[in-house]
Amino acid sequence: MKTLVMGLGNVLMGDDGFGPFVVKVLESRYDFPGEVSLLDAGTPGLDLVPFLTGPEAVVIVDTVKAEAPPGTLKRYGREAILRHLPEARLSPHDPSLKEVLLTLDFAGKGPREVTLVGTVPASVAAGPGLSAPVRAAVEAAVEAVRVELERLGVPARPKAEPGDPDLWWER
Amino acid sequence: MARITVDPITRIEGHLRIDVEVDGGVVRDSWSSGQMFRGIEIILKGRDPRDAWLFTQRFCGVCTTVHAIASVRAVENALGLEIPLNAQYIRNLLVIAHALHDHIVHFYHLSALDWVDVVEALKADPAKAASLGESLSPWPGNSRRQMEAVKAKLKEFVDRGQLGIFANGYWGHPAMKLPPEVNLLAVAHYLQALDYQQKANKVVAILGAKTPNIQNLAVGGVANAINLDNESALNMTKLFAVKDLLEEVRDFVQQVYLVDVCAVGALYAHWLGYGAGVTNYLAVPDLPLDTKGTQFDLPGGTIFDGNLAGAKAFTSFQDAYFRDNVEESIAHSWYDGDWQRHPWKEETEPKYGDFDPNGKYSWVKAPRFMGRPMQVGPLAQMLVGYATGHELTKKWVDYALNTAGSVAGTKLSPSVLHGTLGRHLARAVRCAVLSDLGVKHWGLLATNIGKGDTEIFTPFEFPRGEQQGFGFHEAPRGTLSHWVVIENGKIKNYQAVVPSTWNAGPRDGKGQKGPYEASLVGNPIADPKRPLEVLRTIHSFDPCLACAIHTVDAEGQEISRVRVL
Repeated sequence: MKTLVMGLGNVLMGDDGFGPFVVKVLESRYDFPGEVSLLDAGTPGLDLVPFLTGPEAVVIVDTVKAEAPPGTLKRYGREAILRHLPEARLSPHDPSLKEVLLTLDFAGKGPREVTLVGTVPASVAAGPGLSAPVRAAVEAAVEAVRVELERLGVPARPKAEPGDPDLWWER
Repeated sequence: MARITVDPITRIEGHLRIDVEVDGGVVRDSWSSGQMFRGIEIILKGRDPRDAWLFTQRFCGVCTTVHAIASVRAVENALGLEIPLNAQYIRNLLVIAHALHDHIVHFYHLSALDWVDVVEALKADPAKAASLGESLSPWPGNSRRQMEAVKAKLKEFVDRGQLGIFANGYWGHPAMKLPPEVNLLAVAHYLQALDYQQKANKVVAILGAKTPNIQNLAVGGVANAINLDNESALNMTKLFAVKDLLEEVRDFVQQVYLVDVCAVGALYAHWLGYGAGVTNYLAVPDLPLDTKGTQFDLPGGTIFDGNLAGAKAFTSFQDAYFRDNVEESIAHSWYDGDWQRHPWKEETEPKYGDFDPNGKYSWVKAPRFMGRPMQVGPLAQMLVGYATGHELTKKWVDYALNTAGSVAGTKLSPSVLHGTLGRHLARAVRCAVLSDLGVKHWGLLATNIGKGDTEIFTPFEFPRGEQQGFGFHEAPRGTLSHWVVIENGKIKNYQAVVPSTWNAGPRDGKGQKGPYEASLVGNPIADPKRPLEVLRTIHSFDPCLACAIHTVDAEGQEISRVRVL
């Protein structure tokens, strides 16, 4: 099953860098089957379309808004993500995950399986680096992705010699 | 007198808020309040200037390429570097492909629903839609069968009980005026556009090694090793893949996108008078053809007070006319102080306060050129190009005015371009110009490599002492400039003046409104609770303000509020 693991977020804006951070940790720790690709996608808005057209399954790591303390890990499937429809398009740069999934839905081209693994941010102020509670959520997110890949039938294999994650923006 | 606040105009953290005062169904006054990414100099201070572009391209996830290009140019300018021709051409192809992708997405997926009533498309006769499409364009994607398929798909979608992506739109709004057949054509093209924007994006991915966040730039050139005999270098296979993609996208742009905008614009001809605002225009030349940046394939310069005859061009990457006349004002912005300064002399001391329409009300600074507010974007570049005799601009502007004019049944002159519809038209025209230039610059690169030139990089060393540099780039949204001060090989100061700052900025110390604010005055508002007309005008600028953070609201707590007081 062609699968994409995608980290969304801005690495220069504090906890917003959570998604790319988790992707870098995954890359340093595991080998993946050929049909799985990993991507630090930044904050591409509607530009997500090319990445979500093609894979049959997508696992997204991101920050999420929820009534829960910072660092809480949340997991959502496609129905949960789309449960609340986007509000009237008030900006050309609103578009995000929901809009892209719905657009691809209309075009008949989207992924069958969509999972969002997210954490509640503490701070998204300018400056690279995760806050303590969000940094503490990284391990749980890595495990959640690993479990999801296993469920999809494309399990990750621990590397014989794991390296350090390439967190270039923190150097 | 009603006061309408649309807040946020974006639904991600950091947003644009627009306030308008409406009297007698017309906007009389307006305020644009935005939250920009700030603190970039904190992140860049002390860093190696060769790394700056990796960080600056993360300012905005949609426009990663543009900040990377502006950054390397700023450092190269500080050091007086010449860039090998291959590197210029590869950068140009990235710039062109990114813009093609961006403009297509902007019209179909971000703005079309301001003008197209998707629900009305269900009333269309597919045969009539097809024959209308075929009368306007040789595009093979306008057949009756295709129109029937799109209508069926739309019906199925609607019958499922949820409009999905089309829910919460302005269906049935009195300002929607297109006949059902044009609505259906637009929906069909909306779907096709999804494919073609991806093709353009693929060119960026091939040349940039990945997108978003390309990897192939370097101060002094690019990192794409050119080796026709090597699998992993830039070789013939990759070059021809790029060529095929550029040609396919060119056909879509010229036969579908531009035609659609002309047709829709003509059918909304009563809107031609709205949304002009600031008629001072600023654009920078781009697509350098030489190693020094003194010859360009895209025009740039200034126009003041709508006077095309007085247009003055920028002539090089070192042009003092540009360098010396850019300033930013913080008079009405949430920073400490009241100054208007050149970017090399700016500091950033944020000082947040309440929204005070008579005082400080925005995080966005107010850039000014020779003290005047300037509108930036494709309209600025196309007007400067038209005024200075740029051939490709003239070709496509004339084509667009003729096409729109024939649908509207009237002769249209370039003066109609000042305004909301003009901005959409100019963007489509710019896209057509770029679609021709993509194929041309591919040819320039291939020919140069064919001569045996595989140079991609100019080595250099940082001198001791202090250097100042500026890099400009005409991004899809308009003039972008990065300003760097380097001391002993490290960044001492870094400022970015981004296109949406020029357009979305607040009043300056003299009370001169910014372009968004000025463009809204005089717009009609049919229904204050559904301010579609405000969105039409703001969207025509293609705002890109708060792309800095991405947070999914999976629990539906965040709402966009339209308040009418």
